[in-house]
Amino acid sequence: MDFIAEGFKKAFVLIVHFDGELLGIIALSLKVSGLALVISSVAGLPTGAFIALKRIPAKGALISVMNTFMGLPPVVAGLFLYLLLSRSGPLGFMGLLYTPWAMVAAQTVLAFPIVTSLTHAAVVGVDPIIRQASMTLGASPFQVTRTIVAEARYGILSGVMAAFGRVMAEVGAILIVGGNIAGRTRVMTTAIALETDKGNFELALALGIILLAISLMINVLLHLVQRKGSLRTELWL
Amino acid sequence: MALTLQVTDIMKSYDGKAALKGCSFVFDSAGVYALMGPNGSGKSTFLRICALLEKPDHGDVSYFSGEGVLPPDRGLRRRITMVLPRVGVFNTSVFGNAAYGLHMRGYPGRETERRVHRALEAVGLVPKQRQNALTLSSGETQRLGLARALVIEPELLFLDEPTASIDEENRSIVEEIILRLKGEGRTTVVITTHDREQAERLAGRVILMHAGGIVGEKPKIE
Amino acid sequence: MRIKRALLVLIATLSLAVSSVAEEPRIRCASTTSTQNSGLFGHILPLFEKKTGIAVDIIAVGTGAAIEIGKRGDADVVFVHAKEQELQAVREGYFTDRHDVMYNDFVLIGPAADPAAIKGVKSVTDAFRKIAATSALFVSRGDKSGTHTKELSIWEKAGMSPKGQAWYLEAGQGMEKTQRIADEKRAYTLTDRGTWLATKEKDRLEMAVVREGDPLLMNQYGVMAVNPERQKHANYARAMKFINWLISREGQEAIASFTDGQGNRLFTPNAR
Repeated sequence: MDFIAEGFKKAFVLIVHFDGELLGIIALSLKVSGLALVISSVAGLPTGAFIALKRIPAKGALISVMNTFMGLPPVVAGLFLYLLLSRSGPLGFMGLLYTPWAMVAAQTVLAFPIVTSLTHAAVVGVDPIIRQASMTLGASPFQVTRTIVAEARYGILSGVMAAFGRVMAEVGAILIVGGNIAGRTRVMTTAIALETDKGNFELALALGIILLAISLMINVLLHLVQRKGSLRTELWL
Repeated sequence: MALTLQVTDIMKSYDGKAALKGCSFVFDSAGVYALMGPNGSGKSTFLRICALLEKPDHGDVSYFSGEGVLPPDRGLRRRITMVLPRVGVFNTSVFGNAAYGLHMRGYPGRETERRVHRALEAVGLVPKQRQNALTLSSGETQRLGLARALVIEPELLFLDEPTASIDEENRSIVEEIILRLKGEGRTTVVITTHDREQAERLAGRVILMHAGGIVGEKPKIE
Repeated sequence: MRIKRALLVLIATLSLAVSSVAEEPRIRCASTTSTQNSGLFGHILPLFEKKTGIAVDIIAVGTGAAIEIGKRGDADVVFVHAKEQELQAVREGYFTDRHDVMYNDFVLIGPAADPAAIKGVKSVTDAFRKIAATSALFVSRGDKSGTHTKELSIWEKAGMSPKGQAWYLEAGQGMEKTQRIADEKRAYTLTDRGTWLATKEKDRLEMAVVREGDPLLMNQYGVMAVNPERQKHANYARAMKFINWLISREGQEAIASFTDGQGNRLFTPNAR
C-alpha cells in the first residue's frame, strides 16, 4: 500500500507549494461544477416540486424518464452536446465548444435530472398531514406549496449534494465538450485522467486526494448551512 | 357570536362506504360543542367538512355573519381553524410552528411575537420555544397544535380528538384552555370525543352521533 | 425573497468567473493522445508562441476523432499520424496544405521471454503470422487510432483477419494503457517507439522489442489546415503560420531537440 502514502505525500507537496497551475485547475473545477449545480437547482427544484404537487398528464412516464436520465452516461451527454455545439451542429454559431460554457452546459444536463428527481421524491415523501395543517392555518395555495417544499428541504439538499458529487466526479462529458485544453478547460477530473494516461500514477492519485478533500469541505459546509437553516426556518415558512 | 355555521343534509362516502348519511345542524351560539360517538360514527368526517377541509358529496355547508352567507374563500377560511388529531407539526422550532398562521397572514414581527408568546404561555411551552417541534412529546405536540390555532384568534375552532392519545396531565392542560376559551366567549369551539365525561365537563351542547347520523342532542343546564 | 437575490448574485459571479479569460490570438489543434502524452507539445508550443504570439490549444483525442473534429470545423488545424486517412480527407476537400512533419516508428513488443519466438523472423508480417500460428496473446488498441490502423494494415498484408480470435484482445484504450494490458497478460502488441521509450521504465514493463526497422513500421506524422472554404470561421491564416513554422528549419530543429528523460530522441523531423 506504499502508493497511497506516496499519493498523500505528493498531494501535500502540491498543496504546500501552492502550484499556480493546480490552483487554476481547482478554481475552474469549482466554477464549472458550481455554476452547473446552481443552474440545475434553480431549474430542477421547481420542476421536481411541480411534478410532485400538480396533477399533470403522464406523470408516471415523466418520473420514469427523469429517473432514467439520472443514470445518463456522461459520455453520452457529452457526445450529444458536442454534436449540438459543434461548428457543424445546430448551435455551432455560438462558438461554445471547447469553452468552460460547454462544460457548464454538459454538467447541467447531468445534474438537472438528479435534482429534479430527488426533489420530486422528497416532496412526495412529505406527510400529507402537512398540507392539511397548512390549509387549516390559513395558507394560500402558494403558501401551502412553499410549506411542503420547505418540509422536504433535507431531501432536496441531499439531491443537490448528490448532483454536486456527480458533476465534481464526472469526466466523460467535460472531456468531450471541454477538450481538456491546458490552462483553458482542464479541470481536476480531466487532469487526473490525463496523468493516469501518461502513467503519472502518484500525481494522478494526489490530484484525486485533493479533489476528495475539496468535496469533503464543501459537503461539510453544506451540512453546516443545513443545520443553521433548520434553526431559522421561520424565514422560510 | 359573529359567525353562524349551518350544515344541511350532508352526505359523504369513501370508496362507496357511507360515512355520513344526511346530517344537519346549526352552530349558532358561542360556547363549546362536543360531537360524541364511537369510532367510525362519522364525527371526524363531519368535523372536517365543517372546517372546509373536505367537500360533502351532497348537502350544504354555509357560514353566515351579519351580512348574510359568506363565500367559502380564503377570507372565511382564515376566520376558522382546526387542530388535526395528529397535529402535523412543521419541521422547525416550536416558535416557528406557533407563528405559522400569523406569517401566512403577513403579520408584522412584533405583533407576531406578542401573540405567539401569549399562546405558548397559555399551553406552557414558552421554555421550549427554541426547540425543534418534532422533538416534543405527544402531549406537548397536542398543546402546540392548540397554540398554533390560538395565535390566529379564530372565531370557530375545531378540535379533532384533542386528548385521544395523551396523558392525564396534558389532558387537563388542554381541557383548561378549552374551558378558558368558553369563559372568554369570543370563540366557538367544536370538539370530537368518545369520552362521555369529557364531553360533559367541557361542552354546553353535546351532539350524539352514530353510524353516520346525528342521533340526538343533550343540552346541558348551566 | 432574499434567497432569490442571493442566487442571482451567485449565478452572476460564477458566470463572470467562467468567462473572464482575456482573449489573445489562439488556434485550436486537434491531435492525438500519444503525441500529447509524449510531451512534445510542451516542448515546441512555447517556442512557437514566443515567436508569433499565437497560443495553440491542443485537443488530444484518438486519430479518428481528431480528423472528425477537423472535418466538423471544431479545430483550425489537425496534427495526426494516419497518412492514408489524412490524404483521403484532403481529397474529400475537408483539409488543405497537408505536410509531413516528422516520424517515429512502430515496434512490435512482447514478453521478454518471447514465447512465440518472434525474434529472428524475416519481416513484421511473418512475425504477425507466427503470433497467430502459436496463438500467443495479442493486444490491439481497437480504437481506430493511427496505431490501430497501422496494425490492421499489417494483418491485411499478412493475409489474416484476427478479429474474433480467442488470442486477439481489443483494448479500446490509449497506447500506454494498451502496453500495460499487454504486460499484464504476457501478450504482444504494436506500439510506437516514442511511447515505448517514454514509458517502459516508468511502468516497469517486463517487455522487449521483438521486431523493428521494417519500412512498414514507419509512423509518419502530418499536419493539415481545415479548409476555410468548407468551414468559414476556421482561422486559416493562423493555422498556416503554425504549419509553416512546424515545417520550417526552426520548427524542425525544435522537434529534433525534444528528448525523453533519458536523452532518447522521440521524433525525427522529415518535412520537405
